Amino acid sequence: MNKKIKINNILKRRPLVLDGATGTELQKRGMPPGVSPEIWCLENPHVIQEIHYDYRKSGADVIYTCTFGANSVKLGQYGVSNVGERNKELALLARHAVGKNVLIAGDIGPTGRFVKPFGDLDFEEAVNIFKEQARGLMEGGVDLFVIETMMDIQEARAALIAVKEITDKFTIVTMTYEKDGHTLNGTDPAAALVTLQSLGADAVGCNCSTGPAEMIQLIAQMKPYATVPLVAKPNAGMPELVGDKTVFNMQPRKFAGYGKEFVFRGVNILGGCCGTSPDHIRELVEEIVNEKPVAPVRKAVSAISSSSKTVVFERNNPLRIIGERINPTGKKALQEELLAGKMVLVRKMAREQEKKGADLLDVNVGVPESDEKKIMAEVINLLSAASSLPLVIDSPSVKVVEAALRLYPGRALVNSISGEEKKIKKLLPLAAKYGAMFILLPLNDRGVPEKAKERKEIIKEVFRKAQKHGFTKDDIVIDGLVMTVSSNPQAPLETLKTIEWCSHSFKCCTVLGLTNVSFGLPERKWLNAAFLAMAAERGLTMAIANPGIEEFMSIKTASDVLINRDRDASRYIARFTKTIQEGEKKAIRESVSSSDEIFRIILEGNRDEIESMLARALRESIPAQKLVDDIMIPAITRVGDLFDKKEYFLPQLIASAETMKKGLACLDPYLRNDRSAQEERGIILICTVQGDVHDIGKNIVALMLNNNGFEVINLGKDVSAEKIVEEIKRHRPAIVALSALMTTTMVNMKKVIDTVRNESLECNFMVGGAVVTEFYAESIGARYAKDGVDAVRVAKKILI
Amino acid sequence: MKSVIFFDSINISVPGREIFRRLGYRKGITRIGEDQKELIEDYIEYALSLIHLRGAGRRISIKEKSFSNIVLSNGIAFKSKGLSKMIGDCEEIILMGATAGDDVIESIRGDTEANQLARGVVLDAVASEMVDASLDWIVDYFNRDLRRENKRLTKNRFSAGYGDFILENQKVIYDILQLERIGIQINENYILTPEKSVTAVAGIQSRFSDTGRESESE
Repeated sequence: MNKKIKINNILKRRPLVLDGATGTELQKRGMPPGVSPEIWCLENPHVIQEIHYDYRKSGADVIYTCTFGANSVKLGQYGVSNVGERNKELALLARHAVGKNVLIAGDIGPTGRFVKPFGDLDFEEAVNIFKEQARGLMEGGVDLFVIETMMDIQEARAALIAVKEITDKFTIVTMTYEKDGHTLNGTDPAAALVTLQSLGADAVGCNCSTGPAEMIQLIAQMKPYATVPLVAKPNAGMPELVGDKTVFNMQPRKFAGYGKEFVFRGVNILGGCCGTSPDHIRELVEEIVNEKPVAPVRKAVSAISSSSKTVVFERNNPLRIIGERINPTGKKALQEELLAGKMVLVRKMAREQEKKGADLLDVNVGVPESDEKKIMAEVINLLSAASSLPLVIDSPSVKVVEAALRLYPGRALVNSISGEEKKIKKLLPLAAKYGAMFILLPLNDRGVPEKAKERKEIIKEVFRKAQKHGFTKDDIVIDGLVMTVSSNPQAPLETLKTIEWCSHSFKCCTVLGLTNVSFGLPERKWLNAAFLAMAAERGLTMAIANPGIEEFMSIKTASDVLINRDRDASRYIARFTKTIQEGEKKAIRESVSSSDEIFRIILEGNRDEIESMLARALRESIPAQKLVDDIMIPAITRVGDLFDKKEYFLPQLIASAETMKKGLACLDPYLRNDRSAQEERGIILICTVQGDVHDIGKNIVALMLNNNGFEVINLGKDVSAEKIVEEIKRHRPAIVALSALMTTTMVNMKKVIDTVRNESLECNFMVGGAVVTEFYAESIGARYAKDGVDAVRVAKKILI
Repeated sequence: MKSVIFFDSINISVPGREIFRRLGYRKGITRIGEDQKELIEDYIEYALSLIHLRGAGRRISIKEKSFSNIVLSNGIAFKSKGLSKMIGDCEEIILMGATAGDDVIESIRGDTEANQLARGVVLDAVASEMVDASLDWIVDYFNRDLRRENKRLTKNRFSAGYGDFILENQKVIYDILQLERIGIQINENYILTPEKSVTAVAGIQSRFSDTGRESESE
């Protein structure tokens, strides 16, 4: 019998039992530390065979080959090159130990390197490394594969693709999670599940890291979205330190005691990882042998994922927004960046859209005369790491879509597949191979049908073809096809009919590229928003739009409430509470005197309000000098006090200082008569010393001094003693302020002071910076200032 | 000696509490209005859009060690009593490096020139904390592998420029880790650029240490 069928048959009747730990058993049975377990096992075959045999005797259905680290990267570190042969030998050792009737799983572990975009290992190189190992295991006669202890979803994908490209054998993939419930790379169990099951894993789960109690929680996160059996291979409890050894203390009985709960929570395949022994597995088998496993709850799941997030499309969920900004059409700056291989704008657009409420990101990088495939790969790599939002791959090119799907470390949505013969033949198998969802565009080689009725026919036809590749309605999102209302007044109604039919009769998710509806008309945002509200009522699942347009997002939020997609209106209330508060605040402010308001504005560091409020005060005939002396200086002094008491922290201090500076600049024309005060206070020369490139702290000090009436000349950073001497001769400052962040550059402060003294120049020195202390300052003949507020105090003491 | 492992995109949670603390925020003392908080969070968000964390790490055996000297298997020697003390009886070390990338530094520079210091100082703090947290992440990564060998990294890390571990060693670490591959340069004064780049050394031990973490130089 085909082993895949055999496994599936067992799973219908009872949980499948995997073996327990290999590594800790090998250590117990004499493997010394620091060796390669695989090489040691080949040199001491009786030990590993004994372990395999003991697990079989305990009742395990599946025995893992001892090939966890038998890939070319890890074996290469021990000078082993014949990787395929070694895997074959280790698989044969397992087979000979337990006989024909036991299932042997070819065990594939991580390479220890991270795969792009998370590391430097090229994705195809990773696939080839795993293929080499998998071929060796196949030659050794394994019945199934297990890809385990993966912490990088991209490496898990590479291994799974490698196995799937050489065999259709049953393949299990288990990831390992940290205490916070994510892999080290930030992937949560649901995202890993959605990604791996859609890519073709026959079972998905977790192993290592935690004991059974913690692993049950991870399984609970996966079960609602599982279309495949779930796997749990926990450690024998959490590791504890006894003397200088890490031990796993959970006894076999206690370990097995979790078995029934695992099965009840939805685990179909169960075994043990670090610290478990044949005794643990024996007890586990006894505990669960008569339990009936909970079959996967779904046949398909309408969800896409990134490496860290899953977006599920369900009726009654708020309407989802696909951010449309990453598209170079009509965006010259983005075109130039993409052509130059720069990614600053892409990263910025991604994060801005995420912040404004996008649920997914559309990625279109089609720039004329460019290598779209290469740019798409770069953008996918960037966004996979820089944004948590799942991606929508938007390209008319089959090659570009293929490159993106192969690289993307999640389950993507392809935008789009239409009824056009040439494309559908290539794109459907591609989307199926990589488990992507796709947007079905109801047009074909005859063009774009005007009427909803014709669109329905194309939808049915494309879906029939998609079914042959294993797609279900849950894997498809139908585009209602938005045409411009200004050229065809009936067009929006036909689109709405299509959406309604798809949602209520055909029962499939839907999407609209909204903005096309308003093309050629003024104030398009209103037409777009109104159309969105109408389509939402007809059942629209998601819209491609710019989430940065406030009116549009506000209407979307309101629509969600009105059609019961925002229970308790919680999202609506959250969005608009702030607007209400702003309105109330504005009303209060208008009733307060301008003097009080100026004081408040400086205290709060509100740069945007200072100019208009000063203008109001001047209109009310308050003299500029009075504003400075009686309101602004007391306000900034109060800010300094608050900072000293730590009631304010640095951003507040600087915001207030910058507001003050802006206010002073605004009043400058009215203050011209009073220049003498500043001149009397003298000039302060400020810089970071040679060898040191840190200057933000120094700039804060300069700002504070400036605000307090000192004339400050800022020489910048990495300034030599000779340059400082030159500038002293030129400006004759009263104080030279020197900054340094590092112990290695701090010594240059002394060099400056010595050089200046040798030239017999007269001036005071003030020093500061992260590593500078009062003691050091005194030792080199300078005054010490701990921060910007203190610098003002010290400067005043010296000069006033 | 094992090869260098490169991390081209380190994905970590934003260390929000540490960022606020670096900026001087003191829980229960510092008072901050909703608008101010929102603005600072916007700056943090902006910083995150500019930061691209990359790193590298390499596991190296120790050939010889004394109370003031450590000789690695590749023949390179580190002279430092402080480092020797921290390494203790470890037989291997991990060298590691990380950077927040160029874009955030460019933006800080632009903000400084445009006198937008309030945003600049937040970007600076976010980049510092993120790059620091990325070293923690690299430690976690190695610890995961080491767990199977019943080993782990020392809780302490040591950086060139700290105590008697002179800054010149930064060049040695830079070369071993091939940090130019993740976009870091080093100048004649052994300073790394982009500015928010760090290197560190930790020991591989078989028992836990209770000592705290030493500072890293930037």
